[in-house]
Amino acid sequence: MKRYFDTGNRAITEGAILAGCKVFAGYPITPATEIAENMSRILPKVGGYYIQAEDEMAGMHISIGASLGGLKAMTATSGPGYVLYGDPYGWALGSEIPLVVVNAQRVGPVSGITGAPGQGEFYNSRYPTHGGNLEAIVLAPNSVQEVFELTVEAFYLSERFRMPVTILADQLVTDGWETLEIPETKEEMDKMGLRFKEREICQGPVFYPPTDELDVPPVVLGHNTGGCCSDWTPTEEGYDTEVVESQHKHAYRLIYKVRNHKDVIQRYEALFMDDDPEVVLVAYGAPSRVMLSAAKHARKQGLKVGCIRLISLWPFSDELFKLKSNYLAIELNYDGQLVREVQRCAPSGSRVSFFGKCGELPSVAEIMDCIHKMMAGEPLKANQWEWEVW
Amino acid sequence: MDYLAEKYLRPRKIPSSACSGCGLGQVQKAIVKAIDELRLDIEDVIWGTGIGCAGRQTFATWKGDNFAGTHGRVYAIASGLRIALPPDKKLVLTVGDGDAFGIGFLHLLHCARRNVNMTVVVCDNLGYMSTGGQYGWTTPLGVKTDSSPYGGYEYNFMQDGIDVLNLLRDAGATFLARHTSQQGPEIVESTKKALSNDGMSLVHVIYPCVTNFSDRALGTRNPKAMQTWLKERTYRLHDKVPEGQMSFRTGTYWDASNTRQEFSERLFEFTKAIQRRAE
Repeated sequence: MKRYFDTGNRAITEGAILAGCKVFAGYPITPATEIAENMSRILPKVGGYYIQAEDEMAGMHISIGASLGGLKAMTATSGPGYVLYGDPYGWALGSEIPLVVVNAQRVGPVSGITGAPGQGEFYNSRYPTHGGNLEAIVLAPNSVQEVFELTVEAFYLSERFRMPVTILADQLVTDGWETLEIPETKEEMDKMGLRFKEREICQGPVFYPPTDELDVPPVVLGHNTGGCCSDWTPTEEGYDTEVVESQHKHAYRLIYKVRNHKDVIQRYEALFMDDDPEVVLVAYGAPSRVMLSAAKHARKQGLKVGCIRLISLWPFSDELFKLKSNYLAIELNYDGQLVREVQRCAPSGSRVSFFGKCGELPSVAEIMDCIHKMMAGEPLKANQWEWEVW
Repeated sequence: MDYLAEKYLRPRKIPSSACSGCGLGQVQKAIVKAIDELRLDIEDVIWGTGIGCAGRQTFATWKGDNFAGTHGRVYAIASGLRIALPPDKKLVLTVGDGDAFGIGFLHLLHCARRNVNMTVVVCDNLGYMSTGGQYGWTTPLGVKTDSSPYGGYEYNFMQDGIDVLNLLRDAGATFLARHTSQQGPEIVESTKKALSNDGMSLVHVIYPCVTNFSDRALGTRNPKAMQTWLKERTYRLHDKVPEGQMSFRTGTYWDASNTRQEFSERLFEFTKAIQRRAE
């Protein structure tokens, strides 16, 4: 095991290289630039290729092109680039090409604040492209170590599900410095729970079977398989079609290959959830670190507080929120995004509240204040920017 | 069935879904003929397409591997694909004028700058015809379309001393030619040169759209009228064009084939050098 003190950006690079990434095409943007810089330094040394693209759309399209030719590829950006990814993301999703996409969330909307953490792309990462008829796979790390491990996992899932997989990080995770352990032996990798899958090549003539099965290899061009890859609704052989039945089969596969295999993807962390807690905190990414501290602090004070951290943001299981309780969603935005999902899942009679901050983390004290108020049944609206009932 | 079509194209896609009187088939035939004359086989060519008439009608017609990009970004996909493919595979892209000179122009220019080995054939029907006929970036000045009902007022990329091929040459493309679909043998020759250039080649071919362009611009869907209109405006590159005459200047614009190092070749060499240094 190698030990480093480094950033999440470095961890993403190391994870990608370990997973077999050979191509990175991207466009500079704060706070994801260091991922590109690290890739430009490391990739050539391992026989891989770094390409600086003319914009984010080109960055992701070039990465997809490389993957379409059989090389594992990744691209990384932040919010303003992530919206431009909508076009190529849809292409990779519809034509079922594996790719890893990193979004280091900053403060929005639009250019907002570049060097501060935000969580504005919770729903954006679920619907990154137009047209619906899709399920997305999104993983949300909360530490340097975890972003390394999830990058490896993202490559694994993208190959099995043959689709783009998004790592939805935030500026604190990507720019933050922490201890990073990188396994060197197979034993160490297994112990860390890392999973790997090499690229396989679909031989056709059926490239798009009308089923939800995993591990159907993607189309790879250059092997004379007669593969047809496009953004049109495909027939099973890949011909473009306007036949509604073909569209139904296509949509069914895109949706149910994910929905019916949630167990392969789903990850979460639940703490103090065994004794029907009176208050349940919910978060993902960097603020979940504060949430976990707050829950432990509350328990020390004898308060029945539990917490749930989503790691696989999409999909997650509604069952996680089956307890009737007082929920508090803690997010790095003021509009409330994750809270809407909690509200949808929580059983009737539950009370769902929201604490939002943006550009900086909440403090344990602030969350403790929320917990005390919720437990006392006090009016929840202390400050319209921070604290409101849903 | 035509022997070229039988040899290289998928029976499922013949006849093409193009309108009657469309010139696209002539352009595609010339491309396939060039491929045949170079003795290339099905597995030697990977065929990419853009969006619009030119892209949609030619997608998945090639018997080998095919791909269709998002609108205007097929050049970027092809650049990534180039890195992954064996260097001897040819990339042919059939795209429209809107795809290449409008929404995808940035990516096209950067492919020229990088000198990515691909043969782009811009099949130009003088505007956005698959959406019903709106003006584009090569629509002649003053011409009526559905979105220029009073005649177009904007300057374009092919008139008044502006030529899109000059921009591509300055950006670094290494083979450039322009023809009309009436010049079959010349398209074949240019496409052969384009395919033999280890770098970014572009062949710009003007072809008639009878259904939309001719209908609005000339007031007729008679294919002969559109063909005559096109022929009357076709000039050689160095011909003297009468003043004020809208013209399609045809010929080899720029042939710097195999003079600049190709993008992926350069990238592979660069990577090997870094690896040696790292050892």
